Amino acid sequence: MTAICDQATFVDALRAIVGTEAVLDAQSELLVYECDAFLLEKHLPQVAVLPQSAQEVARIVKLCTLHSIPFMPRGAGTSLAGGGAPVGGGVIIVLTRMKAILEVNLRDRYAVVEPGVVNAILNRHLANTGYHYAPDPSSQGACTIGGNVGTNAGGPHTLKYGVTANHVLGLEIVTAEGEIVRLGGPAEDSTGLDLVGTIVGSEGTLAVVTKIRVRLTRNPQGCRTMLAVFDSIDAATQAISSIIGAGIIPAALEMMDQGIIVAVEEAFHFGFPLDAEAVLIIEVDGLEADLDAQRDRVAELCREQHAREVRFAKDAKERLQLWKARKQAFGAIGRLSPSFCTQDGVVPRTKLPQILKRIREIGLKHDIRIVNVFHAGDGNLHPILLFDERRPEEVIRVLAASEEILNECIDCGGSVTGEHGIGLEKINFMTRLFSEDDVEVMKRLRIALNPHGLLTPGKMLPTAGACGMEQIHPGRRAAL
Amino acid sequence: MNSATKTTDANALTDQAGVAEALRTAHQAKLPVFPIGGQTSLEYGGALSADDRQLDLTGLSKIVDYTPRDMTIVVEAGVRMDDLASTLAAERQHLPIDVPRAAEATIGGVTATNWTGPRRLGHGSMRDYVIGIHAVDGRGIAFKSGGRVVKNVAGYDFCKLLTGSLGTLGVITQLALKVKPQPECSATVIANCQELAVAETILARLVNLAATPIAIDLLVGTAWYQEAFAGKSDSTATLVVRVEGTQAEAEWMAEHVQYEFWQGGAAGAQLLPPPIADCLWSYQIEFADRGATTKHDEASLVLKIAVPPSAILATIDDLRSHDPACTIQAHAASGILVARFAQFSPADISRVLVGKLRPATIARGGCLTVLATKLEGLSPHILWGGRTDATILMERIKQQFDPHNILNPGRFVY
Repeated sequence: MTAICDQATFVDALRAIVGTEAVLDAQSELLVYECDAFLLEKHLPQVAVLPQSAQEVARIVKLCTLHSIPFMPRGAGTSLAGGGAPVGGGVIIVLTRMKAILEVNLRDRYAVVEPGVVNAILNRHLANTGYHYAPDPSSQGACTIGGNVGTNAGGPHTLKYGVTANHVLGLEIVTAEGEIVRLGGPAEDSTGLDLVGTIVGSEGTLAVVTKIRVRLTRNPQGCRTMLAVFDSIDAATQAISSIIGAGIIPAALEMMDQGIIVAVEEAFHFGFPLDAEAVLIIEVDGLEADLDAQRDRVAELCREQHAREVRFAKDAKERLQLWKARKQAFGAIGRLSPSFCTQDGVVPRTKLPQILKRIREIGLKHDIRIVNVFHAGDGNLHPILLFDERRPEEVIRVLAASEEILNECIDCGGSVTGEHGIGLEKINFMTRLFSEDDVEVMKRLRIALNPHGLLTPGKMLPTAGACGMEQIHPGRRAAL
Repeated sequence: MNSATKTTDANALTDQAGVAEALRTAHQAKLPVFPIGGQTSLEYGGALSADDRQLDLTGLSKIVDYTPRDMTIVVEAGVRMDDLASTLAAERQHLPIDVPRAAEATIGGVTATNWTGPRRLGHGSMRDYVIGIHAVDGRGIAFKSGGRVVKNVAGYDFCKLLTGSLGTLGVITQLALKVKPQPECSATVIANCQELAVAETILARLVNLAATPIAIDLLVGTAWYQEAFAGKSDSTATLVVRVEGTQAEAEWMAEHVQYEFWQGGAAGAQLLPPPIADCLWSYQIEFADRGATTKHDEASLVLKIAVPPSAILATIDDLRSHDPACTIQAHAASGILVARFAQFSPADISRVLVGKLRPATIARGGCLTVLATKLEGLSPHILWGGRTDATILMERIKQQFDPHNILNPGRFVY
């Protein structure tokens, strides 16, 4: 299997596949690929290659397999859990040049896209069709649909519309051995195992995705967006529980706590009340015939839970402003501290008051400021830990606090990641969430589709015997 | 689907440890095992024979945890669909998956077969509801994935892998499900189409409706008019559209669906009175199992065909050109149909099914499977179709999960 060759010969062989300028091997050019938005762990690839077709990807994969060189796909690098860092070096297959929208079929409600298509670009392309692609991660202006498939990305509107896995009908993949295979299709329920559902969310460890057939969702006829202001976090979480308990599933139900309100207000001047402990951004959508009634019902439920104020967005402009505040909250954090670490825990909705209380206590204990902006309706938390990367002892306290928060999520019956992935960051939590047997069976799935372990090594699953090693970062040692 | 032999183990299993023990023993002895629940889909993927070793899971019948405010429920695999429905209904919630013979069918079986019905259009299928799964693999090793939260991307998604895997990778023992609030009300609008072309016009118009109906069924074949419509109609086909929501939403939808019917040229569009709609609904739910009759139509062959929604009428034309008397329920906007043939000769299997219907389906980007048949000796190749590029990947997964091929051998694509 293995053929001996030096780096120069190997790089030449890659250039023969994709052309000279589509292969980068100078260290200065490679630095951008050493990590994603998880900045705490970096790995430099040996080569970056930017193919333009599935055939080129297949030939690259075959070449890597022949020489036993690890390889992994990469989109825009917006992942927050280190899924985009090339552990063990090797070849990073950058898919951002494969960015064609190949087909839009409104009668059958699907679009076929290449993996490098940016999420927001697809939706811009669909403007005026009356349809959209529903998953809307906060990074949708930059992240790619291929990357969304890798992490099974979510976003604020997944509460009603579901995550990426609910919106992918079919895939074209290049297997870990370089074969091009089509899975699923324009029709539902294709014969055999649900490999599409299995590969979505597998963080690039089972296949390289080269085409995606996504389901298109009918635009709602209208929506009503409101801001509910609360004097206590508990009251806000009770309101969430009441809304869901009343059988209303809003399109989105997001919470921002005081820390983030202050940062957003400083940045954008929306007129948020600085003394409120929490605000909820709530959006209901659907048929105009009933929207005002739904909006009023939600407002009433918020007031019953002692909302100080419920403001309705008067028009499209006010609605966009509210969403801008929510989606750019992360940008506003820069005003609070030089560095931040965003966590991605999930708890059952009813445990929100409990987990938010614990997060406050954990922040105090480790002397780390923590602010929260998150998908409250799903129970998907994004505590943001503020620190200064240049102070190593602060980094250690952030990691300790993160770990404690995620352990608390597990103890609440939840998970350590709702939409960002395990990546590198959370590998060590896998054995807390799952038994040895569970992980063993997961490894068997990986062996079935990635038999040589060359595709995206070092991600998601822990190796045996990693316990007891010094943990500078949460999650270091991975299987395969 | 009730022709296979039923032999229930006197020592019914009651927990996952028992299932694991049984599978370890079978693995060591390399003996095949056929997991069964409510036995409502025994013919799906090939009927069992009398001496097959059945693993009865109906003893795993506990509701493990139900927190209505989280809208999640954890149940053992042997819980009957009706029992699950009544537990959820007490909190005005539901799992909107349509299953025939719900008093018998179990949630484990429904998940293993990925059973689907009319409401798939509005509510999706089982794969959209399973958020956690416990199972035992072909070596007797218990494993799980997911959890009990609605958003979770930790580890590989065995919920998706096992849903629809027909018990060939693992025996499902417990499931965590996402559930939904019950709609405030529903309404059903029907219209007759003397020509199928009219149905196509209407279906294309309904796609652009401001909200998606919960179900759009196109019912074709004279059998529908004898009982389900109580002899009151004798059209070529009938479109049945069901809408759900708050009262204001359902009224708006029902009105606009009728308008689309009228614009599309259908005759006699009408809003069905609730008792009649409920009666028709039960026929729509039970059709795949027994046909358009309360008795059982004893169909010789039952096919499930999935195509892109725009190809549904062409597919119906193909089926009727072989047998104008075949009875069809098309979940038209989902692109899925079930067709029942009273007579299907063994000779027609190769000439019509393998030679014409399946290639036409594949050319449209879909697939054709045999749901049930009275014909004997059909190979997996005929039941499921030939190998594709993906088959080898499925076989490799099967080999890893069940190295001795003891789980439901011969019941699937591999």
